[in-house]
Amino acid sequence: MTTTMGRTASAGHSAKSPLIEKLNVFTAFGLGIILAVVFYVLAAKLIPEDTDAMLIHTKHDQIILLAMIGWFIGFMVGIGALIGPFRWLLGKDLSHDENMFYAGKDLGTKRYFRYTTDHKVVGIQYLVTTMIIFGVGGILAMLIRTNLGNPEGGWIHPQAYNAIVGIHGIIMIVGTIIMITGPFGNFVMPIMIGARDMAFPRLNALSFWLIVAAIPPILSSFFLGGIMTGWTAYEPLASESPAGMDGYIMFICIFAISTMVAGANITATVVRMRARGMTWNRTPIFIYGVVASVALALPAFPVFFLSQIMSAFDRAMGTTFYNPAGGGSGWLYENLFWLMGHPEVYVILLPAIGALMEMAPVFTRRPLFSFNVAVMGIAGICGLSALVWAHHMYMSGWAPLLNGPFMLTTELISIPTGMLFLVLVGTLWRGRLWLTVPMASIYALLWNFMVGGITGIYLSDVPADGALHGTMFVTAHFHYTLMGAGLTGAIASLSYWFPKMTGRMLDRRLSWVSFWMVQIGFNVAFMGMFLVGLAGQPRRVEAYNAMFNRGNMVTTAGAYVIMTGMLILLFAVVDSWRNGIKASDNPWFAKTLEWSVPTPVPLENFATLPVVTTDAYGYGKAKS
Amino acid sequence: MNRRIVGAFATVVLGAGLIAGIGTYVSAAKADTTILDATPAGTLETPQGTLKHYTMDLSIYPDSFFKTSSPHPDWVSYGPSTNFRVPAHSAITFTMKQYDSGEPITNDFFARVAGTMNGTININGKDVTKVDANTIGHTFTVRGLSNGKSNVFINVPMPMVPEDKMSENEGEYINPTIVKFTIITGDAGEYVWNCEFPCGDGTLARFGGPMSSQGFMSGHFIVTDN
Amino acid sequence: MSQTQTQDKAPWWKRKDVKETAILWVILSVLLGGIAGEVIARSMGAPASETMANTIRMMKVFTWVSAPVAGLVGAIALKSLLQKRHYGDTPPAESDHEIANSPKAAAVWIVTSGLLCLFALVFGMIVMQEDAKSLQAPNAIHVNVTGQQWLWNFDYPDNAGVRSHDLYLPVDRPVIFNVSAKDVKHSFWIVQMGVKVDANPGYITQTAVTPNKIGVFDVRCAELCGLLHAYMQSQVHVVSQADYDAWIKSQGGRA
Repeated sequence: MTTTMGRTASAGHSAKSPLIEKLNVFTAFGLGIILAVVFYVLAAKLIPEDTDAMLIHTKHDQIILLAMIGWFIGFMVGIGALIGPFRWLLGKDLSHDENMFYAGKDLGTKRYFRYTTDHKVVGIQYLVTTMIIFGVGGILAMLIRTNLGNPEGGWIHPQAYNAIVGIHGIIMIVGTIIMITGPFGNFVMPIMIGARDMAFPRLNALSFWLIVAAIPPILSSFFLGGIMTGWTAYEPLASESPAGMDGYIMFICIFAISTMVAGANITATVVRMRARGMTWNRTPIFIYGVVASVALALPAFPVFFLSQIMSAFDRAMGTTFYNPAGGGSGWLYENLFWLMGHPEVYVILLPAIGALMEMAPVFTRRPLFSFNVAVMGIAGICGLSALVWAHHMYMSGWAPLLNGPFMLTTELISIPTGMLFLVLVGTLWRGRLWLTVPMASIYALLWNFMVGGITGIYLSDVPADGALHGTMFVTAHFHYTLMGAGLTGAIASLSYWFPKMTGRMLDRRLSWVSFWMVQIGFNVAFMGMFLVGLAGQPRRVEAYNAMFNRGNMVTTAGAYVIMTGMLILLFAVVDSWRNGIKASDNPWFAKTLEWSVPTPVPLENFATLPVVTTDAYGYGKAKS
Repeated sequence: MNRRIVGAFATVVLGAGLIAGIGTYVSAAKADTTILDATPAGTLETPQGTLKHYTMDLSIYPDSFFKTSSPHPDWVSYGPSTNFRVPAHSAITFTMKQYDSGEPITNDFFARVAGTMNGTININGKDVTKVDANTIGHTFTVRGLSNGKSNVFINVPMPMVPEDKMSENEGEYINPTIVKFTIITGDAGEYVWNCEFPCGDGTLARFGGPMSSQGFMSGHFIVTDN
Repeated sequence: MSQTQTQDKAPWWKRKDVKETAILWVILSVLLGGIAGEVIARSMGAPASETMANTIRMMKVFTWVSAPVAGLVGAIALKSLLQKRHYGDTPPAESDHEIANSPKAAAVWIVTSGLLCLFALVFGMIVMQEDAKSLQAPNAIHVNVTGQQWLWNFDYPDNAGVRSHDLYLPVDRPVIFNVSAKDVKHSFWIVQMGVKVDANPGYITQTAVTPNKIGVFDVRCAELCGLLHAYMQSQVHVVSQADYDAWIKSQGGRA
């Protein structure tokens, strides 16, 4: 037996461990459930009962949290995440054959159900999982809007309604964070920079399976009494919530680890593995969008993680970080949360705008206007977004003297944002517009993001926030930016890269029908929401004053149109994947590297790694 | 072409059906689906003239063993229902049997009576306008959305049953404090009520547990046109 | 020389498409600013305080200031859409002589947006100062606001013993609210007066306003606080000073 790292064992020995072959998503679920039950039973038996002297009863939360930790450990062991680290403990590493097995070589569809490291597999896994997440979030949204069609509410009682609103929010936030970076950041990005895979393929698989592991805890919330808070899980209300809150906490903790892992992986890949000749000036703008997004996420999510750990401690260990009865404060929570919460919305937005800026030259057949301004805009947003968080806290009373400075930084962030608008309209100007869904999506983004951005300026203004904070105006504003701009970018990315990822074209007619339904339904729904917010309807309410009825009916009608459009898109994706027109290697005649490889993309992407001599925007005769 | 239309249509129908199904399930999963109607009782002379008179009898129990089944038998609860339906522009006389013990109330604003006829409530035979803030069991506090209809605010504090007068056995309720009061309803509408004396032990501000779950210490108060 | 070639040689501001875009810009800016401004003002309703009137005016100003930006983006985008569109499975021919960069355009854009930001900031700070005057007024009355799951109650410390569920205020007199909560975070919001401050358990926060209209207005809770958050509402009755004194007396207080 050799002990050198990376060498196989002595000849005659099977070059693959049989254990690796057996682990997949089913063993993961199985082991996760088993360990969850074991931890639950042990905890219920061994933890002492709550005493009357305790201010907050902790036993139930301790049991639930321990059960979820058991689920997490079982799932990750069962999917095979620990094989690599276990080998290192023994002074070895995976053999070449094992690495190829992990990369999914010759495994067919089975590789999508395993801990596969091939970035293309991970991209597809992310795509399907994101669609499932949006499906669940969308169902919850329809429940909310149906209940709000009637001023007295009452279809769903307040306890369930608040849980649905909160879980809809957090599920959608997670969905929008991963919707572009997950499928396309993984599948497309390494090929686009001329690499064979990501810097840390096993971390890539880890970041995906962590998301899957995180989903059952949040879904279990519904059966544990739900959560009382919105997606922001404000303390001290979160400490008052039933055990479903522990599901939220676990969801976020696991998701935060996934994000940090993915962020480190993507950054290392882009910084170190670009093809020869791909200087930063020749790096496609989509890459900038994705890297800036994860660069923001890397410092922000640990803070979110921390805030939730402290919530868990308050609920399960009797600490009082956020409980004023013990000297704590809800303001601590708000600061920690929004330190993450604001950068996070740019984490969501930057890949979407980056993707649309990437598509703009392709569908106008002219160069991207002012690449340098685009990069400056992205970098400016990235940097400034860390300085604006307390504009979510203008009304909290925490530090009224800081309202002015935060107003300054928040106003400033509209400057780099404006630069991105300049880049997009500059690219449209005098272009030969090729009317496809991605092209139309650029227009949709321009409108939606303009509305979202300007309403953001109203909100950034402290006196106006006095009238608008906590109303449906805020809800409409962030749906315009995250959904109107972000989701539009994601759907455009799907249309654009679908031929490369699946080898088929997304059905044209169905995607156009879906596009129009979603965009029109969206604008009707959320314009109606702005109006009721201006008129004084608070947010997160299950019933409202009869004067808001008309606006709510409009929003509910719009929501049903969105639902129809999204379901049509779902059908288009599934049907085109199986029966769509076969796509050529470069149906859009684009110039980035991913279109230079054949479809389906070979396991190692490139036969020989490319050498890059120009940027990808050499359409027509560009005049400097 | 045909397949696409049929497929898209089917997906929309199935999706909508799934949502409707889940919605129906969630909607039906209320902790308390019962509703108590007021009992007619002739007419009553009130400061607002002669109005139709109704009565309603409620109890407040120190636990939930009186329910045929409850996920939380140890939680305090109103009974027999937490949702009430009364007619508009009428006089409703409530008789509350308060079986639970109590403590000093957290916010003594709610030890005062508000919104009842004549501003008083009758406790074990005596008319009062407020209760000693140190001996409150529960309150019955009604209000609604401020939507230009009758602005309702009713607060009825109910004194506790002293510990030594309560039964040792679970599910046995004796020696209630009897609180009677009459309210005059205004326009039709949906209002809510809850107890404003938090006693969800072991939760933050004691407002979790039964205080924050439908079917125990809160509910709907519906005023209907006859 | 063909017409396009002559055009290409003309200074850029004389080009036909630029002129058309400029016209479109003006039309869009006026439409967007006008319609949005009107809709905002109408939706927010009649203000019941100077603070709210300032807020509505400020939002109208911001709308007019941002309308040209939106109008320009819209004009360029629309003009491009109206000019050359291509449908089909193959791309159109690549465009030629196209500008990949214009440091001048970028500089103008950045400087202008910077100035607009500065304007918004200064305007906002001026309004903040004006709104803060009520907080420093010497003749202000004080009201202690307590948020509790799920109702408000109000105490009048200047008039010992007066407590109520609904808020009574004299018109044209500054009132300072000391706001706190008994359990979780709430947010005290007088809708038509445009003032809001969170109610935090364990801490007291402040806001102030001078009501300038007699009438009945709404207090709503603006921070999700649990089961019955939607119903956490009260009414504000703004009355004349005489009626206010009478009300205080009727509640057993000293005026």
